[in-house]
Amino acid sequence: MKRNFSLLLFLASLSLLVFAACGKENEENTSNLEKEKIKVIATLFPSYDFARQIGRDKVEVKLLLPPGIEAHSFEPTPKDISAINKADIFIFTGGAMEPWSLDIIAGIDRKKTIVVDAGKGIKLLSISGEAEDAEELPEEKEHGEEEHHHNHAGKDPHFWMDFDNAKKMVDNIASALAEKDPAGKDFYLKNADDYKAKLDSMDEDYRSSLDKRRPRTIIYAGHFALGYMAKRYGLKLIFPYKGSSPNSEPTPKRIAYLIKTMKETGSKYVYHEELLEPRAAKVIAEQTGAKILLLHGAHNVSKKEIKDGTTYLDIMRTNLDNLKTGLGEEGKNEL
Amino acid sequence: MHQMISELVEALQYTFIQRALIAGCLIAVCCSFLGVFLVLRKLSMIGDGLSHAAFATVAFALLLNQSPLLVSIPLLMLASVAIYALNKKANLYGDAAIGMIAGTGIALGVLLASISGGFNVDLFSYLFGSILAVGKEELYAAMFLCAAVISVVALFYNELFSISYDEEFAEVNGIEVKRVNVLLMFTTSITIALGIRLVGTMLISSLIIFPAVTALQISSSFKKALILSASVAVFSVISGIFAAYLLDFPAGATIVLMNALLFIISFIIRRIKS
Repeated sequence: MKRNFSLLLFLASLSLLVFAACGKENEENTSNLEKEKIKVIATLFPSYDFARQIGRDKVEVKLLLPPGIEAHSFEPTPKDISAINKADIFIFTGGAMEPWSLDIIAGIDRKKTIVVDAGKGIKLLSISGEAEDAEELPEEKEHGEEEHHHNHAGKDPHFWMDFDNAKKMVDNIASALAEKDPAGKDFYLKNADDYKAKLDSMDEDYRSSLDKRRPRTIIYAGHFALGYMAKRYGLKLIFPYKGSSPNSEPTPKRIAYLIKTMKETGSKYVYHEELLEPRAAKVIAEQTGAKILLLHGAHNVSKKEIKDGTTYLDIMRTNLDNLKTGLGEEGKNEL
Repeated sequence: MHQMISELVEALQYTFIQRALIAGCLIAVCCSFLGVFLVLRKLSMIGDGLSHAAFATVAFALLLNQSPLLVSIPLLMLASVAIYALNKKANLYGDAAIGMIAGTGIALGVLLASISGGFNVDLFSYLFGSILAVGKEELYAAMFLCAAVISVVALFYNELFSISYDEEFAEVNGIEVKRVNVLLMFTTSITIALGIRLVGTMLISSLIIFPAVTALQISSSFKKALILSASVAVFSVISGIFAAYLLDFPAGATIVLMNALLFIISFIIRRIKS
């Protein structure tokens, strides 16, 4: 009886293997039919959206991160990996943001898939606010993984929150598309220019709306993700976490400090980050009677936002509106 | 010293600190009481195991667009009974049973997350509550829970006591072992479901193990162990929150480390005594 059981198990696994092989063949047949569009996979929402805006109907862009999943804690599935290996272009956003992307890149066939570091040429801010050179794409894995991670220590990887950096990302993505599809080069570069003009005008909106406003202190009950935005527009961010690790917990003293600062500045709004439950913001709001507003870090979007077709510019527009609300009328409540 | 005290007085004026202290102590009492029984039954890891299972129940709740807590409580009760059944019926040790349920929970959670094609909120933010962010309703829930756990322990003290030491002997003495076990499992799973939401998984699993083992090191009787366990837990929460405030440390981690310190002290006391 026992032997029969093992035999059955063996036969069953064999037939499963055959099925799996058949299934794979079918999949490849269909993918041949859809060859016209350039397949792009982007790890994070900003590069996903930029690729959509530049490639329009010539590309088929997939966001690797499932909606609602937090970027730092993501792990790709085997299917994700195989999709990346079948893609024409893979856009990633740097090792500090996505430690897992480095492992993926190491396994990619570079002849088939163009690997784009969206952050190429961007000066990374350190957590304290100084600029340093962005890391180049690891061509060969000479340094080894560990050293790579070390290089990112103390760097703020959320560079897309600065419109100049966003423009550089657009250029990086556009040139990759042009490389893959030289016939469409003019199309991509023109779209990229159009889009960069939109980014510029949004930047102008930020400058003109935020410049006049005082106080400039933002109570942000989220993680360290808005450093670039704060630096660009001279905002002072106060948040309850020590350091930038997404795993860090708020400390009681810092929450108390946030509450104190709100009382001192008479600020009526506390900001929370996207996707995570705004627990800390709620606590602060309850104590101070403040209202809660969203400042979206744009790493990833929720399922609903994907369905609504939310774009990077939509997010930045809402952020600006919320900043305007939170900072109040110009000249009031000077710090 | 004077400055320290004035800083602590200042800390006490914040609602979130008050709530952390009250909710923390209530949860600590629940966990430390149950912990003594669970540790003696070789089910110390149940806190860890059920919090892994909660990964699946929270994913399921988000999939159905329901409150994670309301979905988690009954499902975790089922999971805890499954652990008990595996333990008894399939003749597995408690650690193996807990490990199987934990693994299944994580796997189901990952599966549900990918079937759903994403969520509107990050799954983990539901799982990892913070003791510094306790809401008003959650505080009431903690009070209710604490009252329930204390009543269960008080009403079934003899039964729980006898099954913790010798199940067969308890059975001979006419105790309905199965029912008492299921009662213990249910109480534990509700405590964990609420505790995860209130103080997070790390703290909840530590609060089940640490105070109990610390108390069992030096207690001469079962009753003393229960009382000492609760005292250790409450002390660790209060001193942990205060220390975290003074030193600007994260609160949950400080409480866990305080527990580790208390265990070392009780271990040394026992060595000196013997």
